[in-house]
Amino acid sequence: MTTALIDRVRWPLLVLAVVAALLLAVALGTISLAPGAVWDALLGRGDPAAITVVLVLRLPRAVLAGLIGAGLGISGAALQGTMRNPLAEPYLLGVSGGAAVGAVLAVSLGVAAVFLPIAAFAGAVLAVAVTFFVAHAAGTRGDARILLMAGVVVGAFANSVIMLVLGTAPSNAVRDAVWWMMGSVAAATWSQTAWLAVYVLLGGGALLAWSRQIDVLSLGDDTAAALGLAPEATARRIYAAAALVAAATVAAAGLVGFVGLVVPHIVRGLGVRRHRPLLVGSAFAGAALVILADLAARTLRPPSELPLGAVTAIVGVPFFLSRLRRLA
Amino acid sequence: MPVLYLLNSRRQSGRLLLLALIVAGACRDARSGAGTPASGTAALRDDYGHLLRLAVPPRRIVSLNPATTELLFALGAGPRVVGRTQYDLWPDSARLVPSVGAGMQPNLEAVLGRQPDLVVMYASGSDRGAADRLTTAGVATAAFRMDRIADFARVAMVLGRLIGDTVRARAVVDSVTGTLDRVRHATQSLPRPSVFLHAWEKPLMTLGGGSFVSELVTIAGGRNIYDSLPAPSPVVTLEDVLRRNPDIILVSPIERSNIMESERWRALRAVRTGRVLAYDTNLVARPSVKLGEAAVSLARLFHPGVLP
Repeated sequence: MTTALIDRVRWPLLVLAVVAALLLAVALGTISLAPGAVWDALLGRGDPAAITVVLVLRLPRAVLAGLIGAGLGISGAALQGTMRNPLAEPYLLGVSGGAAVGAVLAVSLGVAAVFLPIAAFAGAVLAVAVTFFVAHAAGTRGDARILLMAGVVVGAFANSVIMLVLGTAPSNAVRDAVWWMMGSVAAATWSQTAWLAVYVLLGGGALLAWSRQIDVLSLGDDTAAALGLAPEATARRIYAAAALVAAATVAAAGLVGFVGLVVPHIVRGLGVRRHRPLLVGSAFAGAALVILADLAARTLRPPSELPLGAVTAIVGVPFFLSRLRRLA
Repeated sequence: MPVLYLLNSRRQSGRLLLLALIVAGACRDARSGAGTPASGTAALRDDYGHLLRLAVPPRRIVSLNPATTELLFALGAGPRVVGRTQYDLWPDSARLVPSVGAGMQPNLEAVLGRQPDLVVMYASGSDRGAADRLTTAGVATAAFRMDRIADFARVAMVLGRLIGDTVRARAVVDSVTGTLDRVRHATQSLPRPSVFLHAWEKPLMTLGGGSFVSELVTIAGGRNIYDSLPAPSPVVTLEDVLRRNPDIILVSPIERSNIMESERWRALRAVRTGRVLAYDTNLVARPSVKLGEAAVSLARLFHPGVLP
């Protein structure tokens, strides 16, 4: 495809991908429904059994999966730009590790399941705060590499805490925690979806509003400072918003790996460079990717269900390696 | 007749009966020093394929599987059990035995600290090394898979030989299988409701054909909708449960209210018709001495009024 052609089809393609993914996700499943029946069910008419399958079982999880993909996509795109590092992703800031510690502690302390997302969210926010603190204590002013290193160290620390807790936890708690860490939208409800939508819209909106500043930061701190931007303060604001969005997705559905890492690369592959369209494009591509990954997770091996995070990782890692080889 | 007694009794009297068995076992135990000398010399193979040869019946047993703890007490070897897992709650007198912690991936020093001459454990894939180290430490170790009803009868007989009381082992096995036969007979000609076994909510787990619970459902006159899945506890999608459209959802008492209130679960006919049945988690828990009582309790849930 020529660049001109890509320029013209890029946005219709991304929108079409999300719509197609959503339609496939509500149309396909263990129970086979005719396309006409699915459409009727979406409009709330026809066979009540079909309406239940489509509107109660399939649609909430497809929408939740879409929101998670959108949130992780935006968050990843903003971080990669701000850090000037194509390997950056929200989980690397300690989001995943912190959220997992929160969830595992909640599970092993026997806290009610409804509070698990809150514990995960608190853990993620705390871990990101520690990551920033470690990076700050290292004395560098907003050095993205130090921040990534700090994130890795905080992640490793979180891992050891998880192993300490799970090592002595009863097997039921271990099963809960491990499954949660593998990511799943199987238990999606509308209230959960609405709750996540607020975070993704607010956090994503903020990042979008700052997209010009991400453009400037991606040129380098010196250039940014020369252009009248306070690089460190701006970057910190963006990190915080990106981490918050990612933490909310983790709280809603556990760890869904590699989405934040891979999705911005896909959108850049469509020739998008500036961050406003890159963020919006990453939201679309991320949504389509996670919706399709969840469809695969629940239909590839019926009647069983595969962990969503494992599906995204299996798709994401080879893709990312191929991009990496092209970069090198 | 223990068989009839178990079948007709409420749980409390069942417990009394087993208490009586245990007391009788203790008396017998006191006599066994002089009796049954030949059984100890028998060579047996456990489920890891290890050969066991005990010169004398064991005096200090550590049981790392709640199912075998229960069984040892029923076999009258309760006074010889000197260590159990932290999860052992039955029989009541087992709680007086010191705990050595987890049964799987056991703390070997805690086990050896009880100075056992026999360790009985579950033959899991990950604990072969632990069994080897116990054997190296000079402690006879017997590992058994206990997943199916047939495993119970088999392990009961092997343990009977190891502790030197095959007569008691035969009586316990006969009592349990007799009760199971009676339940099977009573429900044989009745229509079989299809049953979804709700084992866990997040992720949604059921029990496949590899579990004794699935066998109990069949005996109690039901049909596990996931009987054909070989995995003991497979993860399934709610949509697939809906496709199989079970008549009954069998669930722990704690989860029952969650399911009844859930918007997603309302999709199932069994939820709308109120056939979400809570089972006794103390009875339907281990493939051991209470299998017969467990079958009775399930049959009473599936077919009210059929069993007295």
